[in-house]
Amino acid sequence: MSEQTHQFGLMEMSAIREMSNIGLGHATTALANMTGKSFNMEIPNVETVALEQVPLMMGNPEEVAVGICMPIDGDITGHTAFLFPWESAQDLWRMLIGTAPETPGDIDELAASVMLEIGNIVSSSFLNAISDMSNLKLHATPPMVSVDLVYTIAASIVAEAEMDEAIALALETRLYGMDDCATTGYFLCVPTLSGLNQLFRALGIAEAA
Amino acid sequence: MSTGTQLLVGMADIKVAKGPATFTCLGLGSCIGLVAFDEQADVWGMVHIMLPEAFKDKPVDKVGKFANTGIPAMIAEMEKLGANPSRMVMALAGGAQVFKFGSAASSRLDVGARNAEATLEILRGMRAKISAQDTGGSSGRTMIVKSDTGVVTVRTVHGGETELCCLRRGRRSVAA
Repeated sequence: MSEQTHQFGLMEMSAIREMSNIGLGHATTALANMTGKSFNMEIPNVETVALEQVPLMMGNPEEVAVGICMPIDGDITGHTAFLFPWESAQDLWRMLIGTAPETPGDIDELAASVMLEIGNIVSSSFLNAISDMSNLKLHATPPMVSVDLVYTIAASIVAEAEMDEAIALALETRLYGMDDCATTGYFLCVPTLSGLNQLFRALGIAEAA
Repeated sequence: MSTGTQLLVGMADIKVAKGPATFTCLGLGSCIGLVAFDEQADVWGMVHIMLPEAFKDKPVDKVGKFANTGIPAMIAEMEKLGANPSRMVMALAGGAQVFKFGSAASSRLDVGARNAEATLEILRGMRAKISAQDTGGSSGRTMIVKSDTGVVTVRTVHGGETELCCLRRGRRSVAA
């Protein structure tokens, strides 16, 4: 059995769920402002899972997706990432630059920089919201973009996260367009255990034994 | 079924089989897929390695996760089925850096390269016979091994499917 699925108390879990809900609300608004479309998101799923399970939690693992990964720096460390299935990524490109690459092989610097920018704005909004609530300093670091299978992208993020420090939990949600917009995406956040404990202290929640 | 057992080798998994089987390592990014085969015993093994080395200060939760624990564990499992390490031939794929866009992408600590390096070093230390290797680059790979033909194929999103090698010396026709 995995030793690394650290168990948190109800208090901790609901604090994480609430904070991520608010943080992702800000992130979703940022994406809506960028694209001029309405987005909604599901209540984030906060789970203490073994990291190697994460790549199977985000839609169809064999689907091609665009992944934007941003390591978090500051008082809390960890990784955040957005994954957009290929057709949703094409929707985003069309909304923002009026045209989209036809195949994953056609991505040029412009198309890549659009995704980097989405990552910047959306992840920064998420981190700013958490920072405002907790008074902790959080920095978004420069994003990186990959176009590959969902499984490949998620597994590579997870491996890097695990390299930093054994992980506590993953929070994951699906966001989707409203009305005429069918764009969907997945958000993933894997904070380090020490980063989470830092957050609990900042919020005045006793650390679970 | 002519293809035998279907074995999906997920992250940190070790799978072994004697007789007909198809092994699939889905979506290897920075991870490494390593397959080993002892033709005489007709025993196969595959491991999906996530990281180069187990953390010294932490218990190992899954031995297949690390190169330095996963490779010996896979070989031990194969030996239980009658394989002999000295007869094994191996092939590996993966170890990519899939985040290729972004100013930070090239300066990041490259888990993929380190995984490939660690795996090769361990294999060299064991004097293992490596038939083929497809590592590095920026494309994720899905590695598929069909035990009946011995053929190892690698599929990528960008480049389609190619045959990496055939681990059976006497390539035999597929039994129906």
